[in-house]
Amino acid sequence: MEKKEFLRKIQKYQRKLNRAELVQNLIISLCIGAGVGILFQIVAFLVVFYPVNWYSIAALVIAAVTAVVLTLCRKKSMQQTALYMDRFGFQERIVTAYEHLEEEGEILRLQRADAMKQLQAKEDRIKIPLLKSWKQPVFTLGLLAVMVVLMMVPSETKKQAKALHMVREEAQEKQEELQEVLEEMEELAENTLTPEQLAALQEMIESLQSSMQEYNQVESTEALQAANQKLDYKYHNMQQQLENMVAQQMLSSGAAASFQSLEAMQQMAEMMQELQNSGMQDGSPSLAGNQGQNGQQGNNQQGNGNSSNNGQNGQNGQNGNNPGDGQNGQSGNGQGNGQGQGNGQGQGNGEGQGQGQGQGTGEGSGQGRGEGSGSSPHDYVSIPNEIMDAGNLNGSANGHENSDFFRTQNGISWEGNHVSHEAVMGTYEQKAYEGIAAGRYPSGMEEVIKEYFASFN
Amino acid sequence: MSELDRSRLQDASYMAGLVAECEKEIQKGIIGQKDIIHQVILAMLTGGNVLLEGMPGLGKTKLVSTISKVFDLSFKRIQFTPDLMPSDVTGTNIIVKNEQGSGFSFEKGPIFANLILADEINRATPKTQSALLEAMQEHTVTVGNDSHKLEEPFLVLATQNPIENEGTYPLPEAQLDRFMFKILVKFPGKEELKEIVNLTEGGKAPTIEKKMDGEALLAARELVNQIPIADAVMDYLLDIVMETHAANPYIREGASPRAAQALVRAAKAKAFLDGRFNVSFQDVEDAAYPVLRHRIIVSFDAISEGITEDAVIKRILEAKKPRV
Repeated sequence: MEKKEFLRKIQKYQRKLNRAELVQNLIISLCIGAGVGILFQIVAFLVVFYPVNWYSIAALVIAAVTAVVLTLCRKKSMQQTALYMDRFGFQERIVTAYEHLEEEGEILRLQRADAMKQLQAKEDRIKIPLLKSWKQPVFTLGLLAVMVVLMMVPSETKKQAKALHMVREEAQEKQEELQEVLEEMEELAENTLTPEQLAALQEMIESLQSSMQEYNQVESTEALQAANQKLDYKYHNMQQQLENMVAQQMLSSGAAASFQSLEAMQQMAEMMQELQNSGMQDGSPSLAGNQGQNGQQGNNQQGNGNSSNNGQNGQNGQNGNNPGDGQNGQSGNGQGNGQGQGNGQGQGNGEGQGQGQGQGTGEGSGQGRGEGSGSSPHDYVSIPNEIMDAGNLNGSANGHENSDFFRTQNGISWEGNHVSHEAVMGTYEQKAYEGIAAGRYPSGMEEVIKEYFASFN
Repeated sequence: MSELDRSRLQDASYMAGLVAECEKEIQKGIIGQKDIIHQVILAMLTGGNVLLEGMPGLGKTKLVSTISKVFDLSFKRIQFTPDLMPSDVTGTNIIVKNEQGSGFSFEKGPIFANLILADEINRATPKTQSALLEAMQEHTVTVGNDSHKLEEPFLVLATQNPIENEGTYPLPEAQLDRFMFKILVKFPGKEELKEIVNLTEGGKAPTIEKKMDGEALLAARELVNQIPIADAVMDYLLDIVMETHAANPYIREGASPRAAQALVRAAKAKAFLDGRFNVSFQDVEDAAYPVLRHRIIVSFDAISEGITEDAVIKRILEAKKPRV
């Protein structure tokens, strides 16, 4: 046997050995991967774990890749192969010959000849099976089958996980939407605006940023509903504010002077309107008691009324909506208009305003802007209307009789206004300091009160 | 028997066959004890000294004398006793008177031979025992200011009785390390004993023929030295020696570096005797017992639990068994 032939034979067995090694590593790795996958599946039966199937499949893929990488890293060398071949009764002849293949000497020549002779004579002894045992692959296949079955078995936690996943996806979409709105607003802020408008715009941006954070923390359907309602309300308010800003600007400086910013604000207001509409449509299937299209229409109408008059009247008009009810939207209008009417064009639109607030609700058909979120946390605080205006409030503000406040129909919104959390806290703080100055509190508590309010700053 | 062909002393195949013939020839004169004969020949092929441990009457002297005949080597036997002096072994300077006048002349002791049988070596005092050290290691004898080279091949085969401790001087570790092999001579089986009795008492002693000579033996040693050893086998061999120094409750002292050298040479000789020109894992394992058993000092724990040196070596071999 020539040296080349000798090397070729070793190479042949090297390939076989590496193939067998790869198969062996794959079987063991897949066995481990399937075991891990089964563990994931078991965990998914106990806790909410949405991507469990992906994790299980990833465990298998990682195991397989690890097996391949390990095989490549531990690839058998020619020397190792020769040593392996010697296990079949060659008594280290082959590895010795391989290691001293290029060396010269009488003994080395004899050794090489002996090794080659033995290899030719006993080559059939060398067996490198692809599978060392049938038990390992069968066991691995069994584990894989168990894993697949567990992937298909439904469970309550899996359903919950799926629902939560959908909530997160929706929250993610909302965040993206908010991001776009924020970018638009930032662009708008670059236009020629009055300091008041800029401040208002900045306030809107901060408000939307807080909504983004809220969506980031959404972990349940209820939280998502609350966030959606709040955002919808914010959109509505922003739309109103923007339209007011347009109206103010047109009255004060003329359309030609700031046409660009007017157009931008108008577009932004329209965008808000669209977002509200899309929010209603998107949210309606999943949100019980959601606000209906009528309410939305009403808002729009109200906005129009405001735009053609002045902001104050518009606000009044809004107030006028509140007493209305679903069944009697028209009568609600009447009242609202009464306040808003003082201003010419606003009247016609004012009717629409009344309808919008008219809450023609009953169960779940839902009204406009989610004012009904009295129990959910947000950065606006609902307060009842002033007692003087409240048709449904009985009692006296200064008297000692009990007050009475009730909802009309079964809608989720009720009479009242929304003011910002900061404003409420500011009022509280002011009152508290006035009380301290007036000496209404026991000594010692004053510092506690001060510290309490200081903690919010 | 074919005549020794001196032109083929460098022919490894021929020499391997010749040594195998020698082994067979020795087996004609020594019934049983094949392993002992094999190991002694291994020692001869490597130039190592042998310590034979066994009961009296097991044919140790017969073995050495038979070897000397087969290999055509000079043979001397020294019976070690407590009153044996170093000069009784090495020789001494004596005053001689002749025509030129008088002067000192070195009178060679019995150590000046190819094969030395140091019988019951542990009966001599340490001083006399140590007289062998230089001869065993350096193959020279120094008397006074003169060093005398011993004739090659030179080989010491010492015997000691394992059961008689009274009046003996156990060999110190330094001297034990000079012995390449420690061979345990076991009592023969019944069939072997029968053959021995028939052979010696039947009056039909076989004729032992010379097969090699000193020159051929030295040539064989040269060939053995050239036998290649694969890296994996060398690693295994070194791992075994290193393992004797690892934390082991049964080992008080591990083997010296000389043990590794002896193991390499013995494994090569084993391969040569088997007709191979490479060292296998099995060669190393076979050589490990006689090479290491007198170089490992077992702990008190091992002694108290009845664990012998061979048992410790077996555990090491199993622990270090190569896995491909």
